[in-house]
Amino acid sequence: MPKRIPRIGIGGPVGSGKSMLIEKIVPVLAKRGYRICVISNDVISKEDANRIRKNLATEQGLLPENMVIGIATGGCPHTAIREDPSMNLALIEEIEQEHTELDLIILESGGDNVMTTFSPALADYFIYIVDVSGGDKYPRKGGLGIESCDLLVINKIDLAGLINADLSVMDRDAKTLRKGKPHVFVNCKDDTGIEQVVNHIVEDLLFEELPKTHHP
Amino acid sequence: MYMNTDFSSLSMMQLSDSFFPAGLYTMSNGLETLYYQKMVTNADGVKELIQMYYLQQVGPADCVALANAYDFAVLGDLDGVMLVDDIICKIKLVKEQREASMRSGRQLIKCVLALGNDPFVAQYHNEIIKSRTPGTYPASFSVAAQSFGISKQNACLMLFYGFGVSIVGAALRLGIIQHIESQKILDSLKPIISEQVGKYISKSYDQIWQFSPQADIFQIHHEKMEAKMFIT
Repeated sequence: MPKRIPRIGIGGPVGSGKSMLIEKIVPVLAKRGYRICVISNDVISKEDANRIRKNLATEQGLLPENMVIGIATGGCPHTAIREDPSMNLALIEEIEQEHTELDLIILESGGDNVMTTFSPALADYFIYIVDVSGGDKYPRKGGLGIESCDLLVINKIDLAGLINADLSVMDRDAKTLRKGKPHVFVNCKDDTGIEQVVNHIVEDLLFEELPKTHHP
Repeated sequence: MYMNTDFSSLSMMQLSDSFFPAGLYTMSNGLETLYYQKMVTNADGVKELIQMYYLQQVGPADCVALANAYDFAVLGDLDGVMLVDDIICKIKLVKEQREASMRSGRQLIKCVLALGNDPFVAQYHNEIIKSRTPGTYPASFSVAAQSFGISKQNACLMLFYGFGVSIVGAALRLGIIQHIESQKILDSLKPIISEQVGKYISKSYDQIWQFSPQADIFQIHHEKMEAKMFIT
Protein backbone atom coordinates (compact mmCIF):
# COMPACT_ATOMS: atom_id res chain seq x y z
CA MET A 1 0.00 0.00 0.00
CA PRO A 2 1.45 3.43 -0.91
CA LYS A 3 2.63 5.71 1.87
CA ARG A 4 0.13 8.30 3.06
CA ILE A 5 0.92 11.71 1.67
CA PRO A 6 0.47 14.53 4.22
CA ARG A 7 -2.84 16.32 3.73
CA ILE A 8 -3.98 19.82 4.62
CA GLY A 9 -7.68 20.61 4.83
CA ILE A 10 -8.65 24.23 4.27
CA GLY A 11 -12.14 25.23 5.34
CA GLY A 12 -14.03 28.44 5.91
CA PRO A 13 -17.10 30.45 4.96
CA VAL A 14 -17.93 31.36 1.36
CA GLY A 15 -15.76 34.26 0.21
CA SER A 16 -13.29 34.07 3.11
CA GLY A 17 -10.38 33.45 0.73
CA LYS A 18 -9.80 29.68 0.73
CA SER A 19 -8.93 29.47 -2.96
CA MET A 20 -6.86 32.64 -2.81
CA LEU A 21 -4.92 31.27 0.17
CA ILE A 22 -4.12 28.14 -1.86
CA GLU A 23 -3.06 30.29 -4.80
CA LYS A 24 -0.67 32.13 -2.47
CA ILE A 25 0.84 29.29 -0.45
CA VAL A 26 1.43 26.88 -3.35
CA PRO A 27 4.00 29.13 -5.09
CA VAL A 28 5.96 29.51 -1.83
CA LEU A 29 5.88 25.77 -1.16
CA ALA A 30 6.75 24.99 -4.79
CA LYS A 31 9.70 27.39 -4.60
CA ARG A 32 10.95 25.37 -1.64
CA GLY A 33 10.75 22.22 -3.78
CA TYR A 34 7.51 20.65 -2.56
CA ARG A 35 5.28 18.86 -5.07
CA ILE A 36 1.62 19.47 -4.46
CA CYS A 37 -1.81 18.30 -5.54
CA VAL A 38 -4.90 20.45 -4.95
CA ILE A 39 -8.39 18.99 -4.59
CA SER A 40 -11.19 21.51 -4.60
CA ASN A 41 -14.56 20.44 -3.18
CA ASP A 42 -16.92 22.48 -5.30
CA VAL A 43 -20.35 23.24 -3.93
CA ILE A 44 -21.97 24.07 -7.21
CA SER A 45 -19.41 24.76 -9.90
CA LYS A 46 -15.90 24.04 -11.06
CA GLU A 47 -15.04 27.72 -10.80
CA ASP A 48 -12.58 27.39 -7.90
CA ALA A 49 -10.78 24.40 -9.40
CA ASN A 50 -10.67 26.04 -12.84
CA ARG A 51 -9.27 29.28 -11.43
CA ILE A 52 -6.62 27.51 -9.36
CA ARG A 53 -5.65 25.30 -12.31
CA LYS A 54 -5.40 28.27 -14.68
CA ASN A 55 -3.32 30.29 -12.25
CA LEU A 56 -1.01 27.72 -10.68
CA ALA A 57 -0.72 25.11 -13.44
CA THR A 58 -1.39 26.70 -16.83
CA GLU A 59 0.08 30.15 -16.22
CA GLN A 60 2.73 29.62 -13.53
CA GLY A 61 3.58 25.98 -14.29
CA LEU A 62 3.98 25.18 -10.60
CA LEU A 63 2.18 21.85 -10.85
CA PRO A 64 0.75 19.72 -13.66
CA GLU A 65 -2.78 20.59 -14.76
CA ASN A 66 -4.05 17.16 -13.71
CA MET A 67 -2.90 17.89 -10.17
CA VAL A 68 -5.73 20.38 -9.65
CA ILE A 69 -8.91 18.37 -9.30
CA GLY A 70 -12.48 19.53 -8.69
CA ILE A 71 -14.94 17.22 -6.95
CA ALA A 72 -18.69 17.70 -6.50
CA THR A 73 -20.20 17.18 -3.06
CA GLY A 74 -23.91 16.68 -3.74
CA GLY A 75 -24.65 20.05 -2.19
CA CYS A 76 -23.28 18.84 1.15
CA PRO A 77 -19.78 20.32 1.57
CA HIS A 78 -19.89 19.74 5.32
CA THR A 79 -20.73 16.04 4.94
CA ALA A 80 -18.08 15.53 2.28
CA ILE A 81 -15.25 16.41 4.63
CA ARG A 82 -16.59 15.17 7.95
CA GLU A 83 -19.47 12.67 8.26
CA ASP A 84 -18.94 10.83 4.99
CA PRO A 85 -15.65 11.75 3.31
CA SER A 86 -15.78 8.59 1.15
CA MET A 87 -15.55 10.24 -2.23
CA ASN A 88 -12.66 12.47 -1.17
CA LEU A 89 -10.85 9.50 0.36
CA ALA A 90 -11.38 7.40 -2.76
CA LEU A 91 -9.90 10.14 -4.92
CA ILE A 92 -6.94 10.65 -2.57
CA GLU A 93 -6.20 6.93 -2.50
CA GLU A 94 -6.06 6.91 -6.30
CA ILE A 95 -3.71 9.89 -6.24
CA GLU A 96 -1.47 8.28 -3.61
CA GLN A 97 -1.28 5.15 -5.73
CA GLU A 98 -0.38 6.96 -8.93
CA HIS A 99 1.64 9.94 -7.69
CA THR A 100 4.05 8.80 -5.02
CA GLU A 101 6.27 11.76 -5.90
CA LEU A 102 3.91 14.18 -4.15
CA ASP A 103 4.90 15.83 -0.86
CA LEU A 104 1.55 17.33 0.00
CA ILE A 105 -2.15 17.21 -0.85
CA ILE A 106 -4.21 20.35 -0.23
CA LEU A 107 -7.92 19.80 0.13
CA GLU A 108 -10.20 22.81 -0.15
CA SER A 109 -13.63 22.48 1.41
CA GLY A 110 -16.67 23.99 -0.22
CA GLY A 111 -17.72 27.22 1.50
CA ASP A 112 -19.55 26.34 4.68
CA ASN A 113 -20.44 27.58 8.14
CA VAL A 114 -18.45 28.01 11.34
CA MET A 115 -19.01 24.39 12.39
CA THR A 116 -16.83 23.06 9.57
CA THR A 117 -14.24 20.49 10.59
CA PHE A 118 -12.29 17.89 8.65
CA SER A 119 -12.36 14.22 9.48
CA PRO A 120 -8.92 13.22 10.79
CA ALA A 121 -9.18 10.32 8.34
CA LEU A 122 -9.17 12.90 5.57
CA ALA A 123 -6.86 15.72 6.69
CA ASP A 124 -3.77 15.66 8.90
CA TYR A 125 -3.70 19.42 9.35
CA PHE A 126 -6.69 21.73 9.39
CA ILE A 127 -6.55 25.40 8.44
CA TYR A 128 -9.69 27.43 9.03
CA ILE A 129 -9.90 30.80 7.35
CA VAL A 130 -12.16 33.72 8.21
CA ASP A 131 -12.01 37.29 7.04
CA VAL A 132 -12.36 40.51 8.97
CA SER A 133 -15.31 41.76 6.92
CA GLY A 134 -17.66 39.81 9.18
CA GLY A 135 -16.57 42.11 12.03
CA ASP A 136 -14.19 41.64 14.94
CA LYS A 137 -16.76 39.46 16.74
CA TYR A 138 -15.00 36.61 14.96
CA PRO A 139 -13.19 34.65 16.31
CA ARG A 140 -14.88 35.40 19.66
CA LYS A 141 -18.17 33.81 18.51
CA GLY A 142 -16.35 30.54 18.16
CA GLY A 143 -17.57 27.46 16.34
CA LEU A 144 -15.88 24.12 15.79
CA GLY A 145 -13.86 25.36 12.84
CA ILE A 146 -12.36 28.34 14.63
CA GLU A 147 -11.80 26.46 17.86
CA SER A 148 -10.51 23.11 16.65
CA CYS A 149 -8.38 23.98 13.63
CA ASP A 150 -4.61 23.61 13.79
CA LEU A 151 -4.10 27.05 12.31
CA LEU A 152 -6.59 29.90 12.20
CA VAL A 153 -6.02 32.30 9.33
CA ILE A 154 -7.65 35.74 9.52
CA ASN A 155 -7.73 37.21 6.03
CA LYS A 156 -8.38 40.63 4.45
CA ILE A 157 -6.81 42.61 7.27
CA ASP A 158 -6.60 45.57 4.89
CA LEU A 159 -10.38 45.92 5.24
CA ALA A 160 -10.32 46.22 9.03
CA GLY A 161 -10.26 50.03 9.10
CA LEU A 162 -13.11 50.28 6.62
CA ILE A 163 -15.52 48.33 8.80
CA ASN A 164 -14.18 49.40 12.20
CA ALA A 165 -12.87 45.93 13.01
CA ASP A 166 -10.21 46.00 15.71
CA LEU A 167 -7.46 43.48 14.90
CA SER A 168 -6.14 43.62 18.45
CA VAL A 169 -9.53 42.40 19.68
CA MET A 170 -9.44 39.54 17.18
CA ASP A 171 -5.89 38.72 18.24
CA ARG A 172 -6.82 38.68 21.93
CA ASP A 173 -9.96 36.61 21.39
CA ALA A 174 -8.19 34.11 19.14
CA LYS A 175 -5.56 33.56 21.82
CA THR A 176 -8.20 33.09 24.52
CA LEU A 177 -10.56 30.89 22.56
CA ARG A 178 -7.91 28.72 20.97
CA LYS A 179 -5.91 28.26 24.15
CA GLY A 180 -2.59 29.08 22.58
CA LYS A 181 -3.02 27.31 19.24
CA PRO A 182 -1.64 29.50 16.47
CA HIS A 183 -3.39 32.08 14.35
CA VAL A 184 -2.03 34.28 11.59
CA PHE A 185 -3.26 37.58 10.18
CA VAL A 186 -2.95 37.69 6.40
CA ASN A 187 -3.82 39.74 3.41
CA CYS A 188 -3.82 37.39 0.47
CA LYS A 189 -3.95 40.34 -1.93
CA ASP A 190 -0.47 41.59 -0.99
CA ASP A 191 1.02 38.39 0.50
CA THR A 192 1.12 39.70 4.07
CA GLY A 193 1.43 36.71 6.42
CA ILE A 194 1.69 34.09 3.67
CA GLU A 195 5.26 33.09 4.57
CA GLN A 196 4.09 32.60 8.15
CA VAL A 197 1.31 30.26 7.03
CA VAL A 198 3.77 28.25 4.95
CA ASN A 199 6.21 28.07 7.87
CA HIS A 200 3.47 26.60 10.05
CA ILE A 201 2.71 23.98 7.38
CA VAL A 202 6.36 23.02 6.99
CA GLU A 203 7.05 22.91 10.73
CA ASP A 204 3.78 21.56 12.14
CA LEU A 205 2.63 19.21 9.37
CA LEU A 206 5.72 18.24 7.43
CA PHE A 207 7.99 18.40 10.50
CA GLU A 208 10.56 20.18 8.36
CA GLU A 209 10.87 17.10 6.15
CA LEU A 210 12.71 18.04 2.99
CA PRO A 211 10.84 17.70 -0.31
CA LYS A 212 11.18 14.26 -1.92
CA THR A 213 13.14 15.85 -4.77
CA HIS A 214 15.85 16.78 -2.24
CA HIS A 215 16.30 13.23 -0.98
CA PRO A 216 19.45 11.47 -2.18
CA MET B 1 -31.80 -13.29 30.30
CA TYR B 2 -32.16 -14.28 26.67
CA MET B 3 -30.32 -12.13 24.22
CA ASN B 4 -30.67 -12.55 20.50
CA THR B 5 -27.20 -12.73 18.99
CA ASP B 6 -28.41 -12.66 15.40
CA PHE B 7 -27.58 -9.11 14.46
CA SER B 8 -28.36 -9.46 10.76
CA SER B 9 -31.46 -7.25 11.00
CA LEU B 10 -29.51 -4.52 12.74
CA SER B 11 -26.71 -4.93 10.21
CA MET B 12 -29.26 -4.52 7.44
CA MET B 13 -30.36 -1.21 8.96
CA GLN B 14 -26.75 -0.12 9.35
CA LEU B 15 -25.75 -0.93 5.77
CA SER B 16 -28.87 0.54 4.17
CA ASP B 17 -28.77 3.72 6.26
CA SER B 18 -27.79 6.80 4.27
CA PHE B 19 -25.53 7.56 7.26
CA PHE B 20 -23.33 4.63 6.17
CA PRO B 21 -20.28 6.27 4.56
CA ALA B 22 -20.36 5.27 0.91
CA GLY B 23 -20.79 8.70 -0.65
CA LEU B 24 -24.16 7.99 -2.29
CA TYR B 25 -25.38 11.49 -1.39
CA THR B 26 -23.00 12.89 -4.02
CA MET B 27 -24.86 11.22 -6.88
CA SER B 28 -28.00 12.30 -8.70
CA ASN B 29 -27.69 9.71 -11.52
CA GLY B 30 -28.42 12.24 -14.22
CA LEU B 31 -31.27 13.97 -12.39
CA GLU B 32 -29.25 17.18 -12.13
CA THR B 33 -28.96 17.41 -15.92
CA LEU B 34 -32.64 16.64 -16.40
CA TYR B 35 -33.57 19.27 -13.85
CA TYR B 36 -31.51 22.01 -15.48
CA GLN B 37 -32.93 21.04 -18.87
CA LYS B 38 -36.43 21.33 -17.33
CA MET B 39 -37.20 17.72 -18.21
CA VAL B 40 -37.84 16.67 -14.61
CA THR B 41 -39.56 19.34 -12.58
CA ASN B 42 -41.83 17.57 -10.12
CA ALA B 43 -42.40 14.46 -8.00
CA ASP B 44 -43.97 12.51 -10.87
CA GLY B 45 -40.91 13.11 -13.01
CA VAL B 46 -38.58 11.99 -10.23
CA LYS B 47 -40.56 8.81 -9.70
CA GLU B 48 -40.65 8.11 -13.42
CA LEU B 49 -36.88 8.50 -13.64
CA ILE B 50 -36.25 6.11 -10.76
CA GLN B 51 -38.66 3.57 -12.25
CA MET B 52 -36.87 3.78 -15.58
CA TYR B 53 -33.54 3.07 -13.87
CA TYR B 54 -35.05 0.19 -11.91
CA LEU B 55 -36.41 -1.44 -15.08
CA GLN B 56 -33.50 -0.75 -17.41
CA GLN B 57 -30.39 -0.72 -15.19
CA VAL B 58 -30.70 -1.55 -11.51
CA GLY B 59 -32.83 -4.66 -12.02
CA PRO B 60 -31.27 -6.38 -15.05
CA ALA B 61 -27.69 -5.28 -14.30
CA ASP B 62 -26.90 -4.26 -10.70
CA CYS B 63 -29.35 -6.60 -9.00
CA VAL B 64 -28.27 -9.61 -11.06
CA ALA B 65 -24.64 -8.75 -10.39
CA LEU B 66 -25.27 -8.42 -6.67
CA ALA B 67 -27.19 -11.70 -6.47
CA ASN B 68 -24.50 -13.63 -8.35
CA ALA B 69 -21.61 -12.07 -6.48
CA TYR B 70 -23.45 -12.86 -3.25
CA ASP B 71 -23.74 -16.53 -4.22
CA PHE B 72 -20.04 -16.66 -5.05
CA ALA B 73 -19.22 -14.96 -1.73
CA VAL B 74 -21.25 -17.59 0.15
CA LEU B 75 -19.12 -20.27 -1.53
CA GLY B 76 -15.94 -18.35 -0.73
CA ASP B 77 -15.30 -18.11 -4.46
CA LEU B 78 -13.31 -14.90 -4.83
CA ASP B 79 -12.69 -15.45 -8.54
CA GLY B 80 -16.44 -15.63 -9.07
CA VAL B 81 -17.00 -12.35 -7.25
CA MET B 82 -14.25 -10.75 -9.30
CA LEU B 83 -15.75 -12.06 -12.53
CA VAL B 84 -19.10 -10.44 -11.73
CA ASP B 85 -17.32 -7.29 -10.55
CA ASP B 86 -15.56 -7.07 -13.89
CA ILE B 87 -18.78 -7.58 -15.89
CA ILE B 88 -20.79 -4.96 -14.02
CA CYS B 89 -17.92 -2.49 -14.29
CA LYS B 90 -17.60 -2.95 -18.04
CA ILE B 91 -21.33 -2.69 -18.62
CA LYS B 92 -21.37 0.82 -17.13
CA LEU B 93 -20.77 2.82 -20.28
CA VAL B 94 -20.49 6.29 -18.76
CA LYS B 95 -17.11 7.03 -17.19
CA GLU B 96 -18.50 9.27 -14.47
CA GLN B 97 -20.99 6.60 -13.42
CA ARG B 98 -18.42 3.80 -13.58
CA GLU B 99 -15.86 5.69 -11.48
CA ALA B 100 -18.48 6.70 -8.93
CA SER B 101 -19.57 3.07 -8.57
CA MET B 102 -16.00 1.97 -7.98
CA ARG B 103 -15.23 4.75 -5.54
CA SER B 104 -18.31 4.19 -3.42
CA GLY B 105 -17.88 0.39 -3.56
CA ARG B 106 -14.27 0.57 -2.45
CA GLN B 107 -15.03 2.88 0.44
CA LEU B 108 -17.94 0.69 1.50
CA ILE B 109 -15.76 -2.43 1.62
CA LYS B 110 -13.00 -0.54 3.41
CA CYS B 111 -15.46 0.47 6.11
CA VAL B 112 -16.86 -3.06 6.45
CA LEU B 113 -13.32 -4.39 6.72
CA ALA B 114 -12.69 -2.01 9.62
CA LEU B 115 -15.80 -3.31 11.43
CA GLY B 116 -14.70 -6.93 11.63
CA ASN B 117 -12.12 -9.42 10.57
CA ASP B 118 -13.91 -11.34 7.86
CA PRO B 119 -11.10 -12.99 5.84
CA PHE B 120 -13.18 -12.97 2.66
CA VAL B 121 -13.78 -9.22 2.93
CA ALA B 122 -10.04 -8.79 3.55
CA GLN B 123 -9.19 -10.87 0.47
CA TYR B 124 -11.59 -8.95 -1.72
CA HIS B 125 -10.28 -5.64 -0.39
CA ASN B 126 -6.75 -6.81 -1.07
CA GLU B 127 -7.62 -7.55 -4.70
CA ILE B 128 -9.05 -4.03 -5.02
CA ILE B 129 -5.90 -2.50 -3.56
CA LYS B 130 -3.80 -4.43 -6.06
CA SER B 131 -6.06 -3.23 -8.91
CA ARG B 132 -7.04 -6.79 -9.79
CA THR B 133 -10.74 -6.08 -9.41
CA PRO B 134 -12.63 -2.79 -9.78
CA GLY B 135 -14.60 -2.92 -6.52
CA THR B 136 -17.89 -1.74 -8.01
CA TYR B 137 -20.72 -0.88 -5.67
CA PRO B 138 -22.94 -3.93 -6.44
CA ALA B 139 -20.07 -6.40 -6.00
CA SER B 140 -18.75 -4.70 -2.85
CA PHE B 141 -22.27 -4.51 -1.47
CA SER B 142 -22.77 -8.24 -1.99
CA VAL B 143 -19.54 -9.09 -0.16
CA ALA B 144 -20.48 -6.72 2.68
CA ALA B 145 -24.03 -8.03 2.97
CA GLN B 146 -22.90 -11.64 2.99
CA SER B 147 -20.33 -10.84 5.65
CA PHE B 148 -23.00 -9.19 7.80
CA GLY B 149 -25.28 -12.23 7.51
CA ILE B 150 -27.88 -10.30 5.53
CA SER B 151 -29.93 -12.52 3.22
CA LYS B 152 -29.55 -12.22 -0.54
CA GLN B 153 -33.17 -11.18 -0.86
CA ASN B 154 -32.74 -8.35 1.63
CA ALA B 155 -29.44 -7.30 0.07
CA CYS B 156 -31.20 -6.91 -3.29
CA LEU B 157 -34.04 -4.92 -1.70
CA MET B 158 -31.47 -2.67 -0.01
CA LEU B 159 -29.71 -2.04 -3.31
CA PHE B 160 -32.91 -0.83 -4.94
CA TYR B 161 -33.96 1.20 -1.92
CA GLY B 162 -30.55 2.84 -1.56
CA PHE B 163 -30.54 3.81 -5.23
CA GLY B 164 -34.01 5.33 -4.86
CA VAL B 165 -32.96 7.28 -1.76
CA SER B 166 -29.93 8.62 -3.61
CA ILE B 167 -32.07 10.14 -6.39
CA VAL B 168 -34.86 11.28 -4.08
CA GLY B 169 -32.26 12.96 -1.83
CA ALA B 170 -30.80 14.73 -4.84
CA ALA B 171 -34.28 15.86 -5.90
CA LEU B 172 -34.88 17.25 -2.43
CA ARG B 173 -31.61 19.20 -2.43
CA LEU B 174 -32.23 20.50 -5.93
CA GLY B 175 -35.58 21.82 -4.72
CA ILE B 176 -37.66 19.71 -7.09
CA ILE B 177 -39.66 18.07 -4.29
CA GLN B 178 -40.40 18.62 -0.60
CA HIS B 179 -39.67 16.30 2.30
CA ILE B 180 -43.11 14.64 2.51
CA GLU B 181 -43.14 14.12 -1.26
CA SER B 182 -39.77 12.39 -0.98
CA GLN B 183 -41.25 9.81 1.40
CA LYS B 184 -44.33 9.42 -0.81
CA ILE B 185 -42.09 8.57 -3.75
CA LEU B 186 -40.10 6.03 -1.75
CA ASP B 187 -43.32 4.51 -0.46
CA SER B 188 -44.81 4.24 -3.93
CA LEU B 189 -41.72 2.44 -5.22
CA LYS B 190 -42.14 -0.54 -2.91
CA PRO B 191 -44.22 -2.69 -5.31
CA ILE B 192 -41.85 -2.20 -8.22
CA ILE B 193 -38.82 -2.92 -6.04
CA SER B 194 -40.41 -6.12 -4.81
CA GLU B 195 -41.38 -7.13 -8.33
CA GLN B 196 -37.93 -6.41 -9.78
CA VAL B 197 -36.10 -8.32 -7.06
CA GLY B 198 -38.37 -11.31 -7.69
CA LYS B 199 -37.71 -11.06 -11.41
CA TYR B 200 -33.92 -10.80 -11.26
CA ILE B 201 -32.66 -12.42 -8.06
CA SER B 202 -32.22 -15.84 -9.70
CA LYS B 203 -30.83 -14.76 -13.06
CA SER B 204 -27.34 -15.90 -13.96
CA TYR B 205 -24.51 -13.41 -14.42
CA ASP B 206 -24.37 -14.21 -18.13
CA GLN B 207 -27.89 -12.76 -18.39
CA ILE B 208 -26.84 -9.31 -17.16
CA TRP B 209 -27.99 -6.52 -19.45
CA GLN B 210 -28.88 -2.87 -19.35
CA PHE B 211 -30.37 -0.63 -21.99
CA SER B 212 -31.01 3.02 -21.26
CA PRO B 213 -29.40 5.01 -24.07
CA GLN B 214 -31.23 8.25 -23.30
CA ALA B 215 -30.17 8.09 -19.65
CA ASP B 216 -26.60 7.37 -20.76
CA ILE B 217 -26.65 10.48 -22.93
CA PHE B 218 -27.89 12.59 -20.02
CA GLN B 219 -25.13 11.16 -17.84
CA ILE B 220 -22.53 11.97 -20.49
CA HIS B 221 -23.91 15.47 -20.69
CA HIS B 222 -23.60 15.72 -16.92
CA GLU B 223 -19.90 14.86 -17.15
CA LYS B 224 -19.37 17.99 -19.20
CA MET B 225 -21.50 20.38 -17.15
CA GLU B 226 -19.57 23.40 -15.87
CA ALA B 227 -21.77 24.06 -12.85
CA LYS B 228 -22.93 21.07 -10.89
CA MET B 229 -23.63 19.89 -7.37
CA PHE B 230 -23.41 16.16 -7.96
CA ILE B 231 -20.73 13.72 -9.14
CA THR B 232 -23.17 11.90 -11.43
